[in-house]
Amino acid sequence: MKCVTPLGLYGVLFLAFVYAPILLVVVFSFNANPINMMIWDGFTLDWYRLIFGMEAKAAESASYIDSTAQLYAAVRTSFVVAFATTAISTLFGTALALAVSRFRFRLAGFYRGILLVPMIMPDIVLGIALLIFFVTIGANLSIGTIIVGQCTFLISYVFVTVSARLALLDETLEEASADLGATPLQTFRRITLPAIAPGVLGGALLAFIISMDDLVITYFVAGTGDTTLPIHIWGMLRRGIKPEINAIATLMLLFTLVVAAAGLYFRQKKE
Amino acid sequence: MPRLLEIHKASKAFHSPEGGTITALDEVSLSLSSAEFLTLLGPSGCGKTTLLRAISGFEPLDRGQITIDGQEMTDRPAHRRPVNTVFQRYALFPHLTVGRNVSYALEIAGTPKAEIRTRVGEMLDLVGLAGLGQRGISQLSGGQQQRVALARALVARPKLLLLDEPLSALDKNLRRQMQLELKRLQEELQIGFVFVTHDQEEALTMSDRIAVLAQGQIQQLGTPEDLYRHPANRFTAEFLGESNLLPVALHDGAAILADGQRVPASGRGTSTLMIRPEMLGTAPVADGLTFAGTIRERFYSGTSNLLIVETQAFGMLQALLRADAPIAVPGSPVTLYAGRADLHIIPGGAT
Ligand SMILES: Nc1ncnc2c1ncn2[C@@H]1O[C@H](COP(=O)(O)OP(=O)(O)OP(=O)(O)O)[C@@H](O)[C@H]1O
Ligand SMILES: [Mg+2]
Repeated sequence: MKCVTPLGLYGVLFLAFVYAPILLVVVFSFNANPINMMIWDGFTLDWYRLIFGMEAKAAESASYIDSTAQLYAAVRTSFVVAFATTAISTLFGTALALAVSRFRFRLAGFYRGILLVPMIMPDIVLGIALLIFFVTIGANLSIGTIIVGQCTFLISYVFVTVSARLALLDETLEEASADLGATPLQTFRRITLPAIAPGVLGGALLAFIISMDDLVITYFVAGTGDTTLPIHIWGMLRRGIKPEINAIATLMLLFTLVVAAAGLYFRQKKE
Repeated sequence: MPRLLEIHKASKAFHSPEGGTITALDEVSLSLSSAEFLTLLGPSGCGKTTLLRAISGFEPLDRGQITIDGQEMTDRPAHRRPVNTVFQRYALFPHLTVGRNVSYALEIAGTPKAEIRTRVGEMLDLVGLAGLGQRGISQLSGGQQQRVALARALVARPKLLLLDEPLSALDKNLRRQMQLELKRLQEELQIGFVFVTHDQEEALTMSDRIAVLAQGQIQQLGTPEDLYRHPANRFTAEFLGESNLLPVALHDGAAILADGQRVPASGRGTSTLMIRPEMLGTAPVADGLTFAGTIRERFYSGTSNLLIVETQAFGMLQALLRADAPIAVPGSPVTLYAGRADLHIIPGGAT
């Protein structure tokens, strides 16, 4: 008993608190019991089969009818949105970070503050504001408005990660490059970009994951046509919690882990 | 034939955050002939770095002109100026190898690959880093990084090299060694050096000429010997080496000391007489100055003895004697002599 310190106990409880629900979802996704998930009824891959539209012997009551095609469409929309917003927000976020750190202009500090606001703004408020804005200018709610809407706050995330990296960059390196004959563009490509690359990559991954995962703001600006994965899942849940959901959640978890691991790996390789 | 570098009345002021202005350069003029080693010497904050940055193009001047090799530089951006710089903290590119750091200027200039390889090899040989081309920057010692910075700045064969306190981060022995190597390189490659330091010994040993700066102005520009023996003002006299400074009154073709001794000198009014400690000896000199006093302290350094002698008329005087000169112990009386040729009256140097 002497090795159980209060702090150690706290640590264990904390881990349980955070990870137990997630672990349960993963376990449930392999539980054959279609009615009560809390009762283990044997191992099955049926729920995964259902997602991929394969034959499964599961009872009809355990699945969302019609889900497969719509699920795929939602996944596709999510990917299109995530890639587009990642590209746009990485480009603009990086450019803004460079501008704010490199050029001395009045109100640079104010500008920096303004750029952080979308990150702390309540999602609901941003969602409503965007909806009203799009309606006012007469834009059709579609995949286009989702992309524009998400970029408004994703740019901030990229801005912050790139800015943090830029703060570490020694400006005399850029002067040394110019001194050796490099034009500003050459200096940017050969010195600045490699130095901030981990920040840019990190910002892009963050934007990608947040975009894939965003529900509230997307929900407001999505309209009725295009549906992203989180919105689709939200819709499914309103028809009751069925075991299939666990399998979808587990796959999303796996995907996020892979993306994050890739990010860490590339980052380590850079060092 | 134009001089390699010509600076004409360069002025630069900064706005301080407190709202005032700081004059970093105040009508600085100087010129450099090719293959000359010029040192900018001065206390911290006197404008040395600012002047160097004005030459390399990173600090636009408020007024004045800079020409290099006869070409007007004033409106030319840094990357188009034919100078290279060794930065104080080296500023080596951390994500590139030693070889790629050195080859940087050549890659930018579009030099063919084969030529880059041979020239980088030659350069690394020259600075004593042969075989280290594949190393990362963080795997080098301070002295080695210093050499990489030097090789990187020299590889494009500039006619003019700027060095901003390149040795200040090195320890004393390494510093001494690098001083000799820098001087050797400069003579071997026949390029002009503008070298910044606030170490007077370094300036004296390495330079062809020294410009002493204070508060953005050139106090004196001349050979090390000139500056040491004939400082133009009190600042230079005190900044370069040790000195005994005695107030004198100029009168009827003579400088009259506080105790009534006289030496021939022109001018009138009050001025300052400078005697370097090594010019004072215990052997009588005909026709010179004599100072009687009491030895207060004695510092032995192996090659010499430094005496602090208290005199009635002038307070403490420093005398640097050879180690084998007969020395009395502290507390005993001593008489010091200075030959007339070793005295220097600082022009306009009123105390
Ligand atoms: N960017 C700047 N903004 C405001 N003041 C500056 C700036 N750069 C230099 N100064 C001021 O100009 C003066 C000269 O600075 P400089 O860097 O040239 O000094 P230095 O002789 O190189 O000193 P050190 O030996 O400490 O390197 C200093 O008073 C400094 O505070
Ligand atoms: Mg400086």
